[in-house]
Amino acid sequence: MNLKKLLLNGRVLLLILVILISIITIASQGITYGLDISGGVEITTQLERPVDQGTMEEVRTSLETRLNTLGVKDITLEPWGDQIIKIRVANVTEEEANSIIDTINRQGVFYAEFNGVIFATGADIKRVDQVYYEPREGAWIVPFSISKEAAEKFAQLALGKVGYPVDIFLDPPIDSLLIVPQELYSLMSSSEFQFSSDAKTLPSRLKEAFNIDVVPYGNQSIEEIAKLAQGKEKVILVEVNSGLESQLKNLGIKVEERELRAGETADDFVRRILGLYGPYRLQEGLTTGEPHTDLAISIGGSKEDITAMKQAQVVSVVLRSGSLPIKVFVEGVNYIPPTLGEQFKKQVLQAGLAALFVVGLVVYLHYRKVKIAVPVVLTSLSEVVAILGVAALIKWNLDLPSIAGIIAAIGTGVDQQIVITDELLGGIKVGKITKRSGILKRMGRAFFVIWASATTTIVAMSFLFRFFVGGLRGFAFTTILGVLIGILITRPAYAEIAKVLLSEKR
Amino acid sequence: MLENTLKKLASVEPKKMITYPLIIFLVSVLLLAVHFPNLGTDLKGGVVITLHGGNADSQEVENLLKQQGFDVTVREIKSITGDTRIEIKASTDVNVQKIISIVKSKYPDVTISQTQFGPSLSRTAQEQSLKAVSMAFIGMAVVVFLFFRIPLPSLTVIFSAFSDMVIALALMSVFGLELTQATIAALLMLIGYSVDSNILLTTKLLRRKEDTIEGAYFSAVSTGFTMSTTTLGALASLWVLSQAEVIDMIATVLIFGLLADFMNTWILNAGVLRWYLQRGEKR
Repeated sequence: MNLKKLLLNGRVLLLILVILISIITIASQGITYGLDISGGVEITTQLERPVDQGTMEEVRTSLETRLNTLGVKDITLEPWGDQIIKIRVANVTEEEANSIIDTINRQGVFYAEFNGVIFATGADIKRVDQVYYEPREGAWIVPFSISKEAAEKFAQLALGKVGYPVDIFLDPPIDSLLIVPQELYSLMSSSEFQFSSDAKTLPSRLKEAFNIDVVPYGNQSIEEIAKLAQGKEKVILVEVNSGLESQLKNLGIKVEERELRAGETADDFVRRILGLYGPYRLQEGLTTGEPHTDLAISIGGSKEDITAMKQAQVVSVVLRSGSLPIKVFVEGVNYIPPTLGEQFKKQVLQAGLAALFVVGLVVYLHYRKVKIAVPVVLTSLSEVVAILGVAALIKWNLDLPSIAGIIAAIGTGVDQQIVITDELLGGIKVGKITKRSGILKRMGRAFFVIWASATTTIVAMSFLFRFFVGGLRGFAFTTILGVLIGILITRPAYAEIAKVLLSEKR
Repeated sequence: MLENTLKKLASVEPKKMITYPLIIFLVSVLLLAVHFPNLGTDLKGGVVITLHGGNADSQEVENLLKQQGFDVTVREIKSITGDTRIEIKASTDVNVQKIISIVKSKYPDVTISQTQFGPSLSRTAQEQSLKAVSMAFIGMAVVVFLFFRIPLPSLTVIFSAFSDMVIALALMSVFGLELTQATIAALLMLIGYSVDSNILLTTKLLRRKEDTIEGAYFSAVSTGFTMSTTTLGALASLWVLSQAEVIDMIATVLIFGLLADFMNTWILNAGVLRWYLQRGEKR
């Protein structure tokens, strides 16, 4: 009878509902773990000086564009305030992490190349104007201007070469040997990247301009490849491996790998490997031998064509990032090997369970009542579930400090349940005060203590949450969340349950 | 036995009761003045390379790297579960990748994690920490005042929280724990725990209607002890079972603070409150 009454109590119902929703959310969404658990690298980059939001976004996009050429999956870039960008890459080896750091540290290297000759670098880009749509051409236009010297060089090179390809590169793999599958080699040598049959092929342009050799893979022996790699800085294996990587490494040759991503076309793949934008077809007006400093790249498409517009914006960013609007430094690195994180997760889970057990034991030893120990442990457990549920819902990155925060919140939670229990028991011990008003008064006093301590904890933690850039925001976040869930949902429910359980026996 | 101690404590002259915690507080302040905890890498800047597992030996690693001309300090940290990890610390200008490759070639089995904090990032972290701690403290003080609206008991609660933090800091200095973002977060969390028990005591003593001062004190102590024991138990299991440094540090500082809070709540605050109430009764 009591059980039924208890279950129909609004506060208890709310708790049950919250737990159910949390379990469903956790099961369907899964919990996102922070890098210190899933493994990976977190890089904190700092801009030379504080910037406005527009510039911040520009730097972010250009960093992203550059990192994307590396072939690492799951890169997230997150601006923090006006001077910091946090870059997180999950599940990478130490070498991958290091090459990411290198790429960030290197300022963007921009090249404009025509028929195997570099005619402009980042320093030659003088201005990049707003991208706009030109209805007459039916294209998105990226206007920019280059230095006088570059314009003169280009004018000479381009004389009479209508329709030849113009390439733009950002961070191309200079001085390297690319081993590619046969099909990819054919694609690179096709008209797709050449336009006019008189123009040089992409592989020969790469060779002349950047000392990049592209070689189709046909089961060459390791010695042959090592020979080809002489005088190169590194070998890049594109979709070919079969043990080549480790063999080359044993010979002391630097090796990197690139793989096709899901949904990526072969064209885009080639562009990503090379850091290539374009090629763009050379327009007639530029082939007269007259130097032009104001140039534009047009990308065909309708005004509604979002893909074309986005492409134009990327080109615009690339042009700018040849000289990033502002210098970017790697300020902080935090690398956790994936295996280690897995171990931490297991330990923390064990620690959490042990903590619950200890809490239950202490509570039992104090009151000598299973009837109190079990509900206290269950309430704490439900609090953990509810916190995890919210974390799953908003895709909060659950890192180690967040977990410590959950445990700290459970600590205060148990404290408060004990306050409630003692107030209730105190009333019973005195005997006469089993009247409703007595219980209400005692509950009022218990909840005064609970609200006061919860408010102070929330106030103290919100400053931590507000002011920290570091990972400890997670600690503050879960603590606040735990305390809120505690005072709003679990504590009132526990009070109801305890009232029923403790009055029953007498 | 505990009850007897408490009874003795409860019968002690309030002013005498207050003296001991104050002495400990002053000793802690002195200790901090002489030796403040060292700043951790995240606040001072620098590089930490940690070797987990494997069969590396800290002395060997140190010799190996020093031979190669690296200016590093190496220490070994043994956890209670028997696992060891080796921490290599250096300043930011060191070539991290070189160190890692040297260590890797000597001990291929170790798992390596690394953390770097550049000078301006650590400066930002320092400023943020200072801001977070001072604002949190002021915020806490305001909330406590709003809840009680009586100056002396409120001040005592605030002072207890402060003293908890100071004693925890002093213990950190004694045990060689560094001041990092993690330990600062733990110090802030102490505010929450400290206010918890102090508010309990203050409420019971000030709002008691059906009890004597002594009765209210005992009932508060009994509740408070259970509270602290459960929390200490939870923290201890965290400390014992996890090898993640962040978690260990947070747990240790909270344990220090909770121990300090035992004294500050049940002796210092209780003493002040009894004195305050006695004075009220005399009038």
